[in-house]
Amino acid sequence: MTMDAALSSHLQELRRGTVVVASLTVLREPGYGYSLLETLAAAGFEVEANTLYPLLRRLESQGLLTSAWNTDEARPRKFYTTTPEGNAVASALRTEWTRLNLAIGDLDTPGSPS
Amino acid sequence: MTTLIDRYVTTALRRIPEGQRADIDRELRASIEDAVEARVDAGATHDAAVESTLLELGDPDRLADRYSDRPQHLIGPELYPAWRRMMTMLFTVVLPIVVIVTTVIQLIDDPAIGKVIGGMVTTIISVGTHMGFWTTGTFALLERVGLDQRALRGPWTPADLPEYEPTRLGRSQLVPNVAWPVLLIAGLVLQQFTFTDVPVLDPANWSFWWPYLIVVLGFEIAWAIWVYRTGVYTRAIAAANAVLALLVAAPVVWLAVGGHVFNPAFPGLAPGGEPLYWASLAVMATFAITALWDIVEIAVRAERSRRGLPVQVPGTGGL
Repeated sequence: MTMDAALSSHLQELRRGTVVVASLTVLREPGYGYSLLETLAAAGFEVEANTLYPLLRRLESQGLLTSAWNTDEARPRKFYTTTPEGNAVASALRTEWTRLNLAIGDLDTPGSPS
Repeated sequence: MTTLIDRYVTTALRRIPEGQRADIDRELRASIEDAVEARVDAGATHDAAVESTLLELGDPDRLADRYSDRPQHLIGPELYPAWRRMMTMLFTVVLPIVVIVTTVIQLIDDPAIGKVIGGMVTTIISVGTHMGFWTTGTFALLERVGLDQRALRGPWTPADLPEYEPTRLGRSQLVPNVAWPVLLIAGLVLQQFTFTDVPVLDPANWSFWWPYLIVVLGFEIAWAIWVYRTGVYTRAIAAANAVLALLVAAPVVWLAVGGHVFNPAFPGLAPGGEPLYWASLAVMATFAITALWDIVEIAVRAERSRRGLPVQVPGTGGL
């Protein structure tokens, strides 16, 4: 495996869980699949449509999102909203993210008090 | 006329459970149309926008698998080790046993060489295919009903580790090493007097070859005790084993070639007869293969123990 291939596979590993945190956080305001994809892309999350759409349904089946069809506009869209449970999970994940970030920072600067 | 989008959605929905189809149909179409619209707004033609949107969504079968959360493998990492151990065991232990048993039955039934070889090949192919197919099928089914390794054999514990031959060989090696020559001597002597009215083996050989074999088998017993007291297989032990194996096998094969193993007076084994020919061939093959196997096996063990490599004890290590 070349260096580039190794790096890209490690990056993929590292990013894997972040889409869930980002989606649950963004969807505190109701949103539909394509809008979320745009928002995440603009925020710098590399996520593909064929990963995101099934993920939304999975999060819904886990009770972390609810959905409702909005037929007011010409194109009916399924809007997802983060549930209170989803909020709690997202907040726990963000706490863990912060903790990991600090821990890695500590490892990176040896000798500093932790 | 159906559009590309219709074809894409229909293809993806084929592999999605019935109950979810209507909802995913609507949502997927809306998402695709949103993406197409955004691309058209950015200046692309409609056809090009559809094309690149579908290209980005990728293989519809794969998308369907993601929607239905279906495993995209036949046997996953949880079950694979158990599957591999099972296949190894089936093909290295069970298949040879089945082939040997069916071949022996065929030899007794109709010992024509063509039928024997044909039967062996057929058994290997058909039994091997069945074992591979049904085992893999069962594991694939377990994978899909969500049984994992814990359900099959409990969580892994250190007790599941295979045992390796200790540096010092124990009694477990001594017993078979002594038992075989003793059984052969007993069989050789007793067949003369008890098993059948007329002895199976040629009594003429009591003038030299049968006593000679008993003496060599006596040396085999002495060799087994030597191995036990030395505690490891050494090169000298392997060399002595090879000499003894040849001293047993060579005369027996030679006697069999000359047709002098069996008693010509034994019913059905008259000289020149077909049964005598096949019985002699079976004796020849058995002794030659056993001797070769024995020589190689002990030589390999001696070499491994000289290099300090462990040897796994058969039957340990679990499924």
